[in-house]
Amino acid sequence: MAIKIPALPEQLPTAQPRFVGREVQRVEDPGLVSGTAEFIDNLALPGMLHCAILRSPHPHARVVGVDTRAAEALPGVLAVLTGEDVRRWSNPAYTAPEGWGAYCIAVDKVRFVGEPVAAVAAVNRYVAEDALELIRVDYDVLKPVPTPAVAMAPDAPVLFEERGSNVIQSRVYNWGDVDRVFAEADHVVQNTFRWNRVGANPTETFGCICQWDISDDSLTCHGAYQTPRFWAMARALALNLPTNKVRVIPHPMGGGFGGKGGPRGTDIAALLSRKSGGRPVKYIEDRMEYLLAGFGQSWDRYYDAALAVKADGTVTGLKVKLIDDQGAGTEGWGTISVAKPLAAFTGAYRIEAAQYDTVLVATNRAPTGPYRGYGPPPHFLVLESLMDMAARRLGMDPAELRRRNYIRPDQFPYTIPSGNEYDSGNYEAVLDKVLAMSDYRGLRESQARWRADGRLIGIGVVSTVEPGVFDWNAYATVGVQGIGVPEGAKVAFDMLGNLTVVVGFNLQGQGQFTVAAQVAADYWGLDLGAVKVASAPTDIGPPSFGQGGSRLGVAITGAVLGASEKLKAIFCQVVAHLMQTTPDQVELMDGRLRLKANPQVGMSLAEVAGTMLGRSDLLPPGMEPCPEATFVWTAEGRTMPDDQGRCRSYLTAANATHVVMVEVDRDTGRTDILKYFIVDDCGTRLNLANVEGQLQGALAQGVGAALYEEYVYNDEAQPLVTTFVDYLMPTIHEVPMATKDFVVTPSPVAPLGAKGCGEGAIHTTPAAVLCAINDALAPLGVEITETPASPHRVWKTLRRARAG
Amino acid sequence: MAMSTKQGICITVNGVRHEREVEPRLTLADFLRHELALGGTHVGCEHGICGVCTVLIDGRSARSCLALAVQADGCQVTTVEGLRDRTTGHLHPIQQAFVEAHGLQCGFCTPGFMMTTLELLAENAEPSDEAIKEALGGNLCRCTGYESIIASVRLAAQRLREQKRT
Ligand code: FES
Ligand code: FES
Repeated sequence: MAIKIPALPEQLPTAQPRFVGREVQRVEDPGLVSGTAEFIDNLALPGMLHCAILRSPHPHARVVGVDTRAAEALPGVLAVLTGEDVRRWSNPAYTAPEGWGAYCIAVDKVRFVGEPVAAVAAVNRYVAEDALELIRVDYDVLKPVPTPAVAMAPDAPVLFEERGSNVIQSRVYNWGDVDRVFAEADHVVQNTFRWNRVGANPTETFGCICQWDISDDSLTCHGAYQTPRFWAMARALALNLPTNKVRVIPHPMGGGFGGKGGPRGTDIAALLSRKSGGRPVKYIEDRMEYLLAGFGQSWDRYYDAALAVKADGTVTGLKVKLIDDQGAGTEGWGTISVAKPLAAFTGAYRIEAAQYDTVLVATNRAPTGPYRGYGPPPHFLVLESLMDMAARRLGMDPAELRRRNYIRPDQFPYTIPSGNEYDSGNYEAVLDKVLAMSDYRGLRESQARWRADGRLIGIGVVSTVEPGVFDWNAYATVGVQGIGVPEGAKVAFDMLGNLTVVVGFNLQGQGQFTVAAQVAADYWGLDLGAVKVASAPTDIGPPSFGQGGSRLGVAITGAVLGASEKLKAIFCQVVAHLMQTTPDQVELMDGRLRLKANPQVGMSLAEVAGTMLGRSDLLPPGMEPCPEATFVWTAEGRTMPDDQGRCRSYLTAANATHVVMVEVDRDTGRTDILKYFIVDDCGTRLNLANVEGQLQGALAQGVGAALYEEYVYNDEAQPLVTTFVDYLMPTIHEVPMATKDFVVTPSPVAPLGAKGCGEGAIHTTPAAVLCAINDALAPLGVEITETPASPHRVWKTLRRARAG
Repeated sequence: MAMSTKQGICITVNGVRHEREVEPRLTLADFLRHELALGGTHVGCEHGICGVCTVLIDGRSARSCLALAVQADGCQVTTVEGLRDRTTGHLHPIQQAFVEAHGLQCGFCTPGFMMTTLELLAENAEPSDEAIKEALGGNLCRCTGYESIIASVRLAAQRLREQKRT
């Protein structure tokens, strides 16, 4: 049965959608403001033990011996786990490319500061931490590998000896005739960039409670898991269990932004449970552990990039050479962040040819993982900075240079050189709107006036494309396999006509339960509060991926609509049978199944569902008494990658242009954001406040990456950032309150026309802020190409200007 | 480091007296969360920076991760669980305002923001945006970008003023 999913809100079976596209109060909020939401550390199970993990103080060392006798003897300690145990019971993390993962506790050697070397389960966390102090570990310290440059030197110590080298992957992609466009260019604008490591840092760290059932060797994990099925499968592989013997129960999460779901923490808690005879074991990562070894450090990058530009401002080519410091292996799936830029390599522009030269390197920094945007934010910082440098070279206004190169509305669907297809867009309309909203000309005039007074004022105008609704094929280049990312939902009416929507993930902050409820409520003509959204554990829920890749809002919409369409067809059969007509004579409208020819005659949802569950004698012969349906959605039309990684990967392409005005303080190098404007186009906005919240939140993270946040390591690969005193999260004082507006170009390929928008402004903000700073510095003839553009770095740049 | 001897304390939380024997090293946050099962006070850093764990001690905002339970002996502590109207079950105007003005996403930081807001609005019924920022400058939120939080506090202030008038 082919299911036709409504392509626009107007196609929903209601005279007028009451919730989709409206400002609604979120269904998840009452529990969250009451403090009753069950974040994982609020759950306690009978007999539960508490885990604490001993971590390596050395970036690179051989573990010669671990003496746990004193810890085991401490009253209140039930189990101590070491490398010996994990070698016996588990496997190294599965990675892509394969073979760059470690065991959950160091076996033989440690490769980064913070790597677990032993763990304790005790009656409470205080005692567990006491016990850590009693464990003696003997290390044979090895020479550290602090940077890719050291890692790639011929005599470098090798992190993973069996790999023989620290280079994880080295690959060059050529798309189109790159050499020709660069040879024929009137200008080649080239520069180097350094993006320092940043990270997700949700306010809630990772946590879990794991229980090993010793009766049948199965495992249950409650916890803060953002992609529960993915983690369940990975745990089964790591812990030598059949995949149907691992059950993950996802709890509401205090944010995620990519890194939620600690695999090492889970495996350690699981094995401690096994070792303690099946007691539940809780592990709550603390902030220092998160900052040392958590699962969200991202993008430690060295770029050398160039644009080929014609005299009239037409950009014809882009070359990007990237050396990516992955840290100590690829257990965090940081490799994906190098692959993902293929989905939007040339941004918002018609650039005919491109080259991507990538080297992924292992060092003794913590392994990198996913963080909101998962790769493109630094890539766009490079591309957009080059666009500004080209504009300066040509003496063109940066907004006009961009306008000249935009993909035009009539060119969609548009295939970019790196292979992905953008579904739709109207980049010029977005630009015009933000230029008008910001009074761009007025900003430039003020800038000229203030500059004349000696102030360093800069304006950034930056356009990007946000790839939305990821597919695995986007990451094929780093060894990830598969096409299709199933997301399922079940819609189920009970005997009294009340509706439950069952999904396979839990809350993380983006309001997806509300989106599911909005869509279901409008489809079935119910009040929003009448729809119950329930999260199912992995063993009973529908196939699901959960949050990730700017996808879930679109995917869950598709799943709820698909399931609803299926169920509607069944309901039509029931009603047709009762009314002695054919199903095609019955329609659903505003919550009633009615006769098309005589809309006065019909049945309520409760009547249909109640009949199905309570009067089987009235049903069509052979019909199942089941007023429920499940639909699993995935994007259609995704393709196999070719040898250059080209494929149709991300389904939707949202677009945004930001205008920002900054002032740089000459004496201190401090940057103040004076004004910030955003216009974006993510197609149909399913929930206005959700989209706005994602934008503003991602803007804050973008400001953090551009100006404040950095995981600093010293020359010996020792992390210098271990608290929020050192890792500078933007506060209410640092985040600009952006003026926002939007354009709506519905996606022709996604349910209800909505595009992925969850990662949002982090694609654009770092580039916009850095471009603005460099616009401010331009009269001095210096520029900064390293993030974060901290006061110290900018001050050093200003000194260079003075030194002339 | 050996097991320390326990100490008797009496803390009134949201109007209810609790007498307990606790280890001196037990933080107030852990006491509230794990001894009293008041899980609404969350913990984000345990080193005093994020403000997620904010509660009121004798009406003043405090970081319950830095305070020891024994230090709150004899004090009145207010947590997010104390905000709802106990008789009607209605949300407190601050909670209601955070819902209506979308002042939360994941909601993990929200109890801390609301407790800080409770203190602010007790002292200043009509705070300017600057005063709101000043008061909330010690609370981190990773989700919202703060704009909707400021709007929530403004709305809460307005609601509380209206409530007073009627
Ligand atoms: S948890 Fe107390 S300030 Fe962060
Ligand atoms: S709402 Fe998630 S940290 Fe504030």
